[in-house]
Amino acid sequence: MKKLYLFGALAVVAMAVFQACEKDLPTNLEFSAYKYANLDENGGTWKPVLLDSASLIGIPAPADASSAAYLAELADLKAASSDLSADQRKAVAYWSGDGLVRWNEVARDLAAKYNLPPPPKPDGTYAAPDPANPGNIPNFPFAHPPYACRMFAYWSTAQFDALIAAWHYKYAYNRPAAYKTDASISTHLPQNDLPGYPSDGAVVAAVSKRILTAMFPLEKDYIAELAEEHLNSLQWAGISTESDIVWGDSLGRGVAGKFLTRAGSDGMKAAQTPKPISDSLRVAAKARFGWQWDNLESPVRPVGIAPFFGRVKPWCIPNVEAVRPPVPPAPGSAEFLKDAEEIKEISKNLTQEQRKIANFWSDGPSTYTPPGHWNRFACDEIVNYKLNPLRAARTLAYMNMAIMDAGISCWDAKYYYHYARPIQAVPGFKTILGTPNFPSYTSGHSTFSAAAATVLGHFFPAEAAKFDNWAKEAAESRIYGGIHYRFDADMGNEQGKACGNYTIEVAKADGGE
Amino acid sequence: MNIKFLQLIRYLCFASLLCLASPKMTAQTPTDAIMMEKGQLCVAAIYGHDSWEEYWEGTYKRSNGNIGTFTRQSVSGMFSLGITDRINVLGALPWMKTSASAGYSKGVQGIQDWGVWVKARSIDFKLGPGSLGFYPVLGLTGPASNYLTDYLPFSLGLGAVEASGRGILIYELDMGLYARAHAAYHIRSNTTIERDYYYIPGAGGVYSDKVDMPNVSSFGATLGALLLKNNLKVEATYEGMNTLGGADIRLHDMPFPSNNMDMTRANFNLQYYIPFGNGHILSVIAGGTQVLTGRNVGQSTAFMGGLTYQFGVFGNKNEATN
Repeated sequence: MKKLYLFGALAVVAMAVFQACEKDLPTNLEFSAYKYANLDENGGTWKPVLLDSASLIGIPAPADASSAAYLAELADLKAASSDLSADQRKAVAYWSGDGLVRWNEVARDLAAKYNLPPPPKPDGTYAAPDPANPGNIPNFPFAHPPYACRMFAYWSTAQFDALIAAWHYKYAYNRPAAYKTDASISTHLPQNDLPGYPSDGAVVAAVSKRILTAMFPLEKDYIAELAEEHLNSLQWAGISTESDIVWGDSLGRGVAGKFLTRAGSDGMKAAQTPKPISDSLRVAAKARFGWQWDNLESPVRPVGIAPFFGRVKPWCIPNVEAVRPPVPPAPGSAEFLKDAEEIKEISKNLTQEQRKIANFWSDGPSTYTPPGHWNRFACDEIVNYKLNPLRAARTLAYMNMAIMDAGISCWDAKYYYHYARPIQAVPGFKTILGTPNFPSYTSGHSTFSAAAATVLGHFFPAEAAKFDNWAKEAAESRIYGGIHYRFDADMGNEQGKACGNYTIEVAKADGGE
Repeated sequence: MNIKFLQLIRYLCFASLLCLASPKMTAQTPTDAIMMEKGQLCVAAIYGHDSWEEYWEGTYKRSNGNIGTFTRQSVSGMFSLGITDRINVLGALPWMKTSASAGYSKGVQGIQDWGVWVKARSIDFKLGPGSLGFYPVLGLTGPASNYLTDYLPFSLGLGAVEASGRGILIYELDMGLYARAHAAYHIRSNTTIERDYYYIPGAGGVYSDKVDMPNVSSFGATLGALLLKNNLKVEATYEGMNTLGGADIRLHDMPFPSNNMDMTRANFNLQYYIPFGNGHILSVIAGGTQVLTGRNVGQSTAFMGGLTYQFGVFGNKNEATN
């Protein structure tokens, strides 16, 4: 009997240890604030994406470093940055100054949160998200890949232009950072030689707040809270005075406004077409090619995702026709049958490795989508290479412009060719991934990924082979998942590369190479 | 898209691991109060069929035209061995197959989770017109194959290693009626999925392929009787499980292994014993279970049937027939 109780006691201890050994899981990229690899002192001369000039949004000359007003600011900063609470230290470490990577993570989480297909109503119909009433069910937005890629594009291009403007003013007014003027201020982040006015962190927070609030209106309060904490963290860290922050915020808001004006008229409002227009695309494809894609969900969704996303205004490609892939193999043709046979074979004999690749890249509902996945990769490299926020924003801006152009051109092909998915064209075929609500050709994952990999490879040449392999694996993953034919993936890859190359040409001419 | 509480399937399998252990017509599962005598081995093979058309997204009950009727079939091999008269070891290994009658999602088949339990008879004494017994049970379960956990409801299991502690209390009248209750706490390890980012509603994104699995509590209450000169055992059980944390499935979202899965069920079981002259005992079992209430699970209706066979492997092999 004693042995029994001993055994029981040991088992209870073992169970407790068993669970206590598990670590908390990471909710963001773990890194410490770093000293920038370089400062890009001439960044204010780079060509912005949208602004006609870096000085388009004006901010006043700051008070002189020796003025009474500024000395008072320095005293406030000194007070704010001494005796930090544990929460304040945590906030400083989290935002790590410029906060660009953190805001990108916030954008990714919001994309995941809103990446939820509208549910059918009990009567079998579907309601569409309404931008005018975002709180209705289903909530606005449905952050599908086209929505997400556009969100990332506006967020990052606005950051890039706003930081070019910030660099312009930093060096035009050339007021040293607070800690250069008053060495007694205790700083909790690495110091650098960037002029302090305006604060780049405040620019990033303001752009993020304005763009993300526009993209995710129901998150207004959440985003405002984050922005406030970010701005406060700049003072707690002892790196930015009140005027650095106030005018950085003003500059960021002004530049973001210009981008929201572009977003308001880029064609996105019409992308989710009414059913008659969507049907006309199907009829046109049937007449032109003799085939059509159908949604096979139950109840049937009346309209695919964003049929007119292919008409949204691109960034760097001249037009969608310039990168439109050739006509896909006709269903029933030898070429089609070869690729159809391949997915049947793969489905039948799926290996653990193939299953893992399909799932790793799935980026489906409730995830940050493929554009979010590539933003994550870009941020990993931004941290690895210790990029300053301006160069980091440049990387993200060109990558996300390429991704959005890829999305636009891919969606053009999807609804132009209106090609059936494997579950429709291959009798009896079933899949391990959910088949998305848009036509098959070309593969969105392949196109997004190739565009992103091409641009990232240009910015990080030592990593180019890795990105290229990832893009190929992302493309392959859709074949393993049973939702794309190889010709969807291969042509998507080509199309994405073409979009990426147009983007690189623009990047080469902006003065930042 | 949707759900099923896979772990309960495992429990269901065990509710059907019923073996004759003594002339008193008792049974043997992690949730009952039956002990095998020293040296006695009971092996079982059970077929289970479990299906649902409706499921709960959080507390919202719905059907799904892309699933139709979801079905899970299983064949489980189990054993129970009397190490001593007071300590038994139980084990199980189910094979499963999942499928949906509608939609285009591919079903899955394979071996699910191994399970090992140690059950002890710690207190057992006469009280009034019957006897009272208390049985602690410690269990450990874990995935027995590399199945994909992140493919609910088709996933074979949830992929976590789980340690459980259970207490069983039984009051048995000498005339053959008995009442039994059990309660358990299940500690679950992280499970692993095949992507390294996922979003938990209400919490945020997680950058890992590991998923924190909330712990689970479970309970059950049974009324049973031995009839036909103790050759037939009849049991009715009300039981439930409660996941202590986890998020609800959002409207029309995919389910996730760490969802807050709760349910209550009613279960009815029969077992008929056929003793052989050589001391071996065969039994035939059959049962049905209906989920009554639920959260983030399917409202399943399940049937099972199978055979058990008991014989002595060491010690006094004739003890079984008394």
